[in-house]
Amino acid sequence: MQASSGMLTKFESKSSRVKGIAFHSKRPWILVSLHSSTIQLWDYRMGTLIDRFDEHDGPVRGIDFHKTQPLFVSGGDDYKIKVWSYKTRRCLFTLNGHLDYVRTVFFHHELPWIISSSDDQTIRIWNWQNRSLICTMTGHNHYVMCAQFHPKDDLVVSASLDQSVRVWDISGLRKKHSAPTSMSFEDQVARSNAQQTDMFGNTDAMVKFVLEGHDRGVNWVAFHPTAPHIVSAGDDRLVKLWRFSETKAWEVDTCRGHFQNSSGCLFHPHQDLILSCGEDKTIRVWDSQKRTAVQSFKRENDRFWVIAAHPEINLFAAGHDNGVMVFKLERERPASTVHQNSLLFFITKEKHVRSYDFQKNAESPTLVSLKRLGSAWVPPRTLSYNPAERSVLVTSPAEGGSYELINLPRDGSGALDATDSKRGQGNSAIFVARNRFAVLNTSTQTVDIKDLSNNTARSFKPPNIAELAVNGVKYVVWSNDGLHAALLSKHHITIVTKGLEQVSILHETIRIKSASWDDAGVLLYSTLNHIKYTLMNGDNGIVRTLDQTVYLVKVKGRNVYCLDRSAKPKVLHIDPTEYRFKLSLVKRNYEEMLHIIRTSSLVGQSIISYLQKKGYPEIALQFVQDPSTRFELAIECGNLDVAVEMAKELDRPKLWTRLGTEALAHGNHQVVEMAYQKLKQFDKLSFLYLSTGDHSKLARMAKIAEHRGDFTARFQNALFLSEVEDRIQMFKEVDLYPLAYMTAKAHGLEDECQSILEATGVTEDQLTLPKFGASLPTPKPIVPTFKANWPTKAASQSFFEKALAGQLEGMTLEEEPATTNGVEDGDLVEGDAANKNSAMEVDDDDDDAAGWDLGDDIVPEADGDFVNVESTDTSGAGSSEADLWARNSPIAADHIAAGSFESAMNLLNRQVGAVNFAPLKPRFMEIYSATRTYVPASASLPPLVNYVRRTLDETDPRKVLPIIPRDLENLAPNDLQQGYDAMRSNRLEDGARIFRGILHAILANAVSSENEVSEAKKLITSASEYTVAMSIELARRALGTPDVVNGNPDLLKRSLELSAYFTIPKIEVPHRQLALLNAMNLAFRSRNLSSALSFANRILANGGAARILESAKKMKAQCERNPHDAVEIEYDQFAEFDVCAASHTPIYSGTAYEECAFDGSKYHSKYKGTVCVVCQNLLSFSGRGPEE
Amino acid sequence: MDPYSAEGELINIHNHFHQGQFQEVIDFDTSSLSSENEVPARVLIQRARIALGQAKDVLADVKGETSEPEFAAVAALAQSALGQVDVAAQAIEKLAQSAGDNQTVQVLGGIVLQAAGKSDEALALLSKHSGSLDATALITQIHLQQNRADLAVKEVAAARRWAQDSLLVNLAESWVGLRMGGEKYQQAFYVFEELAQAPATSSIVTLVSQAVCELHLGRVEEAQTALEQALQKQPDYADAIANLLVLTVITGKDPAELTSSLKKTAPQHPLLTDLEEKSDLFDKAASKFSAKAAA
Repeated sequence: MQASSGMLTKFESKSSRVKGIAFHSKRPWILVSLHSSTIQLWDYRMGTLIDRFDEHDGPVRGIDFHKTQPLFVSGGDDYKIKVWSYKTRRCLFTLNGHLDYVRTVFFHHELPWIISSSDDQTIRIWNWQNRSLICTMTGHNHYVMCAQFHPKDDLVVSASLDQSVRVWDISGLRKKHSAPTSMSFEDQVARSNAQQTDMFGNTDAMVKFVLEGHDRGVNWVAFHPTAPHIVSAGDDRLVKLWRFSETKAWEVDTCRGHFQNSSGCLFHPHQDLILSCGEDKTIRVWDSQKRTAVQSFKRENDRFWVIAAHPEINLFAAGHDNGVMVFKLERERPASTVHQNSLLFFITKEKHVRSYDFQKNAESPTLVSLKRLGSAWVPPRTLSYNPAERSVLVTSPAEGGSYELINLPRDGSGALDATDSKRGQGNSAIFVARNRFAVLNTSTQTVDIKDLSNNTARSFKPPNIAELAVNGVKYVVWSNDGLHAALLSKHHITIVTKGLEQVSILHETIRIKSASWDDAGVLLYSTLNHIKYTLMNGDNGIVRTLDQTVYLVKVKGRNVYCLDRSAKPKVLHIDPTEYRFKLSLVKRNYEEMLHIIRTSSLVGQSIISYLQKKGYPEIALQFVQDPSTRFELAIECGNLDVAVEMAKELDRPKLWTRLGTEALAHGNHQVVEMAYQKLKQFDKLSFLYLSTGDHSKLARMAKIAEHRGDFTARFQNALFLSEVEDRIQMFKEVDLYPLAYMTAKAHGLEDECQSILEATGVTEDQLTLPKFGASLPTPKPIVPTFKANWPTKAASQSFFEKALAGQLEGMTLEEEPATTNGVEDGDLVEGDAANKNSAMEVDDDDDDAAGWDLGDDIVPEADGDFVNVESTDTSGAGSSEADLWARNSPIAADHIAAGSFESAMNLLNRQVGAVNFAPLKPRFMEIYSATRTYVPASASLPPLVNYVRRTLDETDPRKVLPIIPRDLENLAPNDLQQGYDAMRSNRLEDGARIFRGILHAILANAVSSENEVSEAKKLITSASEYTVAMSIELARRALGTPDVVNGNPDLLKRSLELSAYFTIPKIEVPHRQLALLNAMNLAFRSRNLSSALSFANRILANGGAARILESAKKMKAQCERNPHDAVEIEYDQFAEFDVCAASHTPIYSGTAYEECAFDGSKYHSKYKGTVCVVCQNLLSFSGRGPEE
Repeated sequence: MDPYSAEGELINIHNHFHQGQFQEVIDFDTSSLSSENEVPARVLIQRARIALGQAKDVLADVKGETSEPEFAAVAALAQSALGQVDVAAQAIEKLAQSAGDNQTVQVLGGIVLQAAGKSDEALALLSKHSGSLDATALITQIHLQQNRADLAVKEVAAARRWAQDSLLVNLAESWVGLRMGGEKYQQAFYVFEELAQAPATSSIVTLVSQAVCELHLGRVEEAQTALEQALQKQPDYADAIANLLVLTVITGKDPAELTSSLKKTAPQHPLLTDLEEKSDLFDKAASKFSAKAAA
């Protein structure tokens, strides 16, 4: 037995000794009861402690989740059983009754019952709804270590230190407690009596079997989920397998291996496996069929105390001295491979290889079963498919890594066990060509290239081309174009180029499961509970949540194809808008962005903050409705219009301040003015007006200042306006006469000076005045800046924004990339030049380079061969395949295909007497041009001509034959129908042409079977009859317009005759009806009532379309009154005759005639030696005399 | 060491060239190549340009360097591509005497001579090669053009022995396979399909080749898809049009539109010249019969 690495630890916690474990059936939760009296609730997927419950006094040994209710139960050394609600996070009630430690507690799967086992030697069943003890099962005479309900039947199994395992029948208990619908008084009495007997005899729960076999106390016992099996584990270090029937139970076998007390055991929920754990610090896995050890897992220091299985998924948990571990026995990732974007091959849990068609969304039946291959309990890891040989390559970690090459059965008829397989050692194996595969051996670090018979063709150490240190890479996913790869580690995805240059790396807190590239180069990956995406630059996000872990295999448009844990193909629908949008943003594909913005509802905080972060506030602006966010974004991208709009809407001082600052920076003083006005920042406003030269507004500001009584402001404004008087006036108002005087004096306003002096009663002499400089001139605006916003900061509107605003057509979007391209081009040219230079420099080395690989020792041998070949056979050209065709076939069509037209004509001439070939030219060319294809081979040489065959599987050059277009299969449904259509819609010229075309096509055609021969004959006859029929009617129409014809008795006679002959050829009945109707009407119009009557009779005899029959009936009724012909015509309705195809006159039976050898059309014998008008290429008719 | 082999520096550019990815060849970054591979790489680039119809520019480019046999050969190839087949052939014949064991001269010379219809001379020159897959592939093609599939088979089988899974051997084998038929069709199809469907190796050449295989396999619809895909990539690719024309005829439809578009893009395409020739032949042959009839 080997310690395999197959056990995969998914979660580990550190705590004191674990005594009990329970999985939640739906959520990723596990309850752990500890020796330290605590109960922990963990999320094992995220690795977080959700809750803890500390109400027990002393160790908690038993714990269980309710299957459907938000409840769990625990039992401990305080003799108490507690029922808890994890929703309200508190203990609901306590069940008291046990007189010693409670070892295990379990809920019943459907009834509101709890079963508990205790050191008081009893097993008790409780009803948690009415919180009562309903049954006490006594019998064990030592501690009861474990008691469990049967998953379906009314059975209980218990294990005790008295060395026995007992099976109990509790059907009586169920009967008693299942709600009685109607119960007679007697029943009730009987029932209450029965209940009384509980006290003595336990009729509710009777011991059914006592299983003895363990030599020491039994610690754990469990039922098999479906089969009548029991497994138990005891202090005798044994795990025992038991079986029971209705009447008896017996020991089946013992699994020996634990070298210390075995503390727990259980059946695998889906597979034929038993898991056990023990104080020898091991978890062991056993094959329950063969009772052999499959795996064992050892911990260094921790003894295991308890083991539990998840009821649904492949997860187990084991509790030990220092915590709990959640683990899987095997990898669940189904091995799969995608072939040509259309087929998915995968291996199911039953080890069947199946395929799945993406287009048809259909799963194939099992192609081959791998059951017999490899180790039974190790699932294959990878799969590689080879379409050429229809074989698969499967690798598995068993035996230190091995691969197997298996051919899929050709017929794919069913679950055949793969028998012939070629196998070998290796860690990874894939097909690299249709007849080669590569095997990687990590131990020796070599790659072997092997052929399909498993012989190593080449073995080499992979050359180290590039290196990149990435930790713990588990999978590599190549992009569809093969230029990038994603390296998946447990928590990281590293995207690299094919040269192993790191493009980006991202970190996930939860496990990364799988990844797949979409066509645009976006990597979609799945974690335990999400599908996410990442762009090359590392931008990532969530695409959707998952309720179930899946493994992505392919992304196409809105569909994500994946396999779930049970290896079922699934299609998930996603909304790719977000990442497509981000991708187009990264690629600066503005048109696409525009399209996305316009067509989809892409909103949300994440996209906005993303855009902002990426420096595209102007784009983010398009998504936002909230005014304050819009304002922020508008400020950020300098879109003042939007900012003003939003500021007006919100009208908050803070925003106005920011808007003012921003607008000032832009030079947009009108907005600044508005902001200042809103903020009532008069000083700033004044200064703004001053600087823009807006005097009138400045004056108004002065007025306002005056109104407000703000002297400082007034002074300021006056100063700006150079209004001396106003200033003086103001100084006077605030009693600052000295200043007023000074101002007046400085500006030479002597009158004012005087009045001030007078008012203050001071004389000029009393004042000492400083010297005045020249008075400042009033600033005069040179440019009326205030009239418009100028100069403003260059608008930072992006092309994109403009396009959104509809100001520009899509064209302009190109502008930016175009210019960058230009630059790049320039660079390239330079680079080229550099290359050239360097090339010039190394020209000297040419001679060395020319001497390459002469050292190669295989070459001389091959060379010898060449010489050989050349010397014997250079004798020029051989015969082409086309020549072979002519040689291989006596059929004219094949000669035509061969290009040997003359021999073809000779053949036709001989076979059907053809001479007039001109009408056949299109058919000849058609055949010829369908037979040659052109493969572009070496560059600069004309393409290689190849010859298309109809004998696809033939390789014998004496049997190959060319393809013939428009073969019989093709003619009948296409051309013939067209001909019929023409007849029906009265396009007779077209019809005649089509039917002649059919004749020509058959004339030069190939038939391969008797069947086809007769079909061809039928087709020829039919086409011939139609051609004759149509030409008769066409000849009639060529006589002239009805007026002309009616006016000329000869023509009229001929016309009536032709119309009658038109009804003779053997064309399809519905078409004949048309001819008859035509003839009948014409005859009636010319008062040839007898003929008309005969036509009507024939119509009625043929049956068919009601409308025609109706008119025939009427006609018949009319004609029968006077069945006489007004015009004598050469048409005997009672005689049998054919119509001569050339003269359109009757050939009565019994007269000699000529017949076309090909189409069978008939002629008067005088036409012998002329061209058949039907097929247009026949001259010599085979004469048919009256004797025939 | 063979620079075109799997470990060699030129493997990628060489493969690009033979997969028909001419633009990739031209865009190939040659700056990192070691000095002895510069010239072969340049020759490949020039050949790719010629294949893309830039023969005139190439001729101008190498004009000053014709003292080197490689570039003299390139110049001859460019001339040949420009229609001066005889001038080019003469130049090659001269080169063959002075530098007949230069591999580039052999290969390019082979092409030029074959294009000039001097197949025997081409084979003679090519037979001097020493372990060149290019030469092997060319010899195979010439044999096939001469309808000597038997020799072509031998050639490929010999090359297989020392060059195993090389791209060129696979291609040459597929060309031969298209003549042999039967299962070989399918094998050829796999080779081309593998190249055409992988984004890294896909090119219009391989796509058309794949389509031809499918046509030969009787899978008309698939062939049509592939050809239309090819025409989408390059609407004026003569071989794609020609094969689509053939396909149209096979499916019993009217090829007039394709014929005219082929006439426009490649009036010298073998399909057209061949058909014209046959049309004359028909008239001649047919006239004999009507003459007899009249007599």
